[in-house]
Amino acid sequence: MNTNPTQTRTLPILLFNDECGVCRHIANWVRKSAQSDSGGVSLLEQPIGDDPKALRALNPKLDIWEAYATIHLLMPDGSMKLGGEAVAEVFRDLPNTKWFAGSFAFSIFGFRPFQAMLNLGYLILSDVRPLFGCESCGPPSPWVKPFAHVVKWAGTLFGSSPHPSPSPHFTLRPAMTRPTQPAVAKRPA
Amino acid sequence: MNDNSDNFEGSTDKIQDVTTDAFNAQVLNAQGPIAVEFMSYGCSHCREIEPVLQQVAARVESTEKICRVNIAVEPDLASSYEIQGTPTLIMFLNGKQVGRIDGPSPTLSSVMTAVTQPFQT
Repeated sequence: MNTNPTQTRTLPILLFNDECGVCRHIANWVRKSAQSDSGGVSLLEQPIGDDPKALRALNPKLDIWEAYATIHLLMPDGSMKLGGEAVAEVFRDLPNTKWFAGSFAFSIFGFRPFQAMLNLGYLILSDVRPLFGCESCGPPSPWVKPFAHVVKWAGTLFGSSPHPSPSPHFTLRPAMTRPTQPAVAKRPA
Repeated sequence: MNDNSDNFEGSTDKIQDVTTDAFNAQVLNAQGPIAVEFMSYGCSHCREIEPVLQQVAARVESTEKICRVNIAVEPDLASSYEIQGTPTLIMFLNGKQVGRIDGPSPTLSSVMTAVTQPFQT
């Protein structure tokens, strides 16, 4: 995490879901791409984490549930960009991608075709993340479900046995399946 | 501690955050019915159930308290209750566990039943 306090006021901060493998890979790529030859960075990154108050300290309007639901880019002026708009702004901020990022602002009678394509691309990427085993990304969308079944079936063919879940509305935590610590909060005798 | 902050969809948070240090005082030594949601902010199913649980908490607030324990922050407390995943609801009556449900369906009726039925038997 980049936390240089002097830079946080002047640079955008990209929040990412550190529980999602796809998001971590993208965040790593952004982190590397944001570094300039002179050693500076054009963008900061921060995992969303588990503290709603810490997020609200970054921006009072920032809700941790919404931060996990869609990509957020916190702008230095206090505004926030979400979804495809955030992705476009990230491209504008990265030295290697800013050359084509201007196309996202191109408008025909108020319609921005390249931005619309980017929005669609973001939605598709966001929807297919569960195929890569991300439990934090939610259940697959209806159009992704057939692919999810194929991935699951292929997994069983190659010996991967999914954890049995007591409910379809339940996120298993492999690390939590075996208690590693003694009970810490018991009713006093 | 309830931070009384704006939460889901701009409404006030009706669910009280409980830490390990406060668990004895706020749950185990407290009187009356209390439902504790073991959750994580990175859990998509917790995200789904959150607005429903807020509605339920608002409806039952005169008779029942609903709390949340963030298992990412309080892993030892989660382990002590053998939390296999999230969301898990555990119901306490006068400090005694009387019910538990793993991954309730995120509908108003099922969550309402989950957090009230154990206290009716």
